[in-house]
Amino acid sequence: MSTFRFRNYGEQDAMSDLISEHYPALFVLSRFQIALGFGDKSISEVCRENNIDTPTFLAIINLMVKHQPVILPAETTISLSSLMDYLHRSHDYFLLYRLPEIRKKLVNVLNENQEDLNKAVLGYFDKFATEVKKHMLSENNKVFPYVKALLQKENCEKYVFGFKKQHERIETSLTEFKNILIKYYPAQNTNEINSVLFDIFSCERDLASHNAVEDYLFLPAIEALEKQSAS
Amino acid sequence: MSYPVKMVLVEPSVIIRSGLLSVLRQLNTFQMDVLEVSEVKQLKTSLHWKKPDVLIINPAALMVFSLQQIKKEIGNPQLKCVALQSSLVDANGLKAYDEVISLYDTTEQINEKLCRLIIDPEEEKHQETLTLREKEIIVCVIKGMTNKEIADKLHLSSHTVVSHRRNIANKLKIHSTAGLTIYAIVNKLVVI
Repeated sequence: MSTFRFRNYGEQDAMSDLISEHYPALFVLSRFQIALGFGDKSISEVCRENNIDTPTFLAIINLMVKHQPVILPAETTISLSSLMDYLHRSHDYFLLYRLPEIRKKLVNVLNENQEDLNKAVLGYFDKFATEVKKHMLSENNKVFPYVKALLQKENCEKYVFGFKKQHERIETSLTEFKNILIKYYPAQNTNEINSVLFDIFSCERDLASHNAVEDYLFLPAIEALEKQSAS
Repeated sequence: MSYPVKMVLVEPSVIIRSGLLSVLRQLNTFQMDVLEVSEVKQLKTSLHWKKPDVLIINPAALMVFSLQQIKKEIGNPQLKCVALQSSLVDANGLKAYDEVISLYDTTEQINEKLCRLIIDPEEEKHQETLTLREKEIIVCVIKGMTNKEIADKLHLSSHTVVSHRRNIANKLKIHSTAGLTIYAIVNKLVVI
């Protein structure tokens, strides 16, 4: 039997309950650099000990758990600097760990004597990975410095955000790759191809959830800050 | 319509909402992805989030919004709107909807109504294998030829090439050249 939770997670809930009820939350913990071993401590206690803004942490978790936009109560304040640290680590995770790991597994699963096909499969994946990299680095190098300047109340030129469209493109591209492997790749070793596919399925979800944090928490918070500094 | 069909379900009553959801889960005619909305104030955000193909809504929950407004808001005039009727409603008010599901409909009736709305008989027919011409075009595309070059080579108009490419994408669900390359190699359309 599976456990369901309909209400949002709150400050007083035990961190360990969150993880056992919703294991993808582990991704969020590692991006905030929270180590396991918190015993029965509550979410707010663990956040405090790790110097993490609790409302920001909860907003990300609840967005991820519900998988739909969460309307934040008006008094909720998102800490933009906490959120940017989180997003930055999340980018590192995809670029330095997740995507290379999938590529490594993909190479292992390729059939011998099918050089052309292998080249085409890796070619697709590499093109996808390059696009993700370009997108994430532009956020690291352009969007984050812009927001930091806004926070410091420095004068800066208005930045025009186009990441929502890019997110959609990236997600569609990975889904297409997954579907092509499922439908057309004549893999010989089913255990290994399954393992790659499981990784891609989970990466697909994780990427969507990362993008949702940017579209539905980060962007509105920046817009609020822009309004504030304009007045 | 592409699959999974994206639906937004707006119904304030959790009991009715969960009830309809569990009926929808039993239908296995097509794949769907349903987002539940309990409060109308969440409607606007959820429409942007999901860009739904189908909106199932309790007419009483619509309140100040109009279906026209909603369609305009998400920029999809093709949005199918289904009224979820749980109380007496003025019949005129229901005219704007594409379909009405009543609280007392059976699973079969609900299935039939949704199928009628979603499955386009034309589209069904298109789910066939590629034509010879389409295969030729794939080969040109993966060689990196432009639409104009393909048109010249095969003695077609550019417009026809574009429409062939759209059909290929719909049949194979592959939209990128890199994806078509993999398809072509596996199906031996090309030897590179």
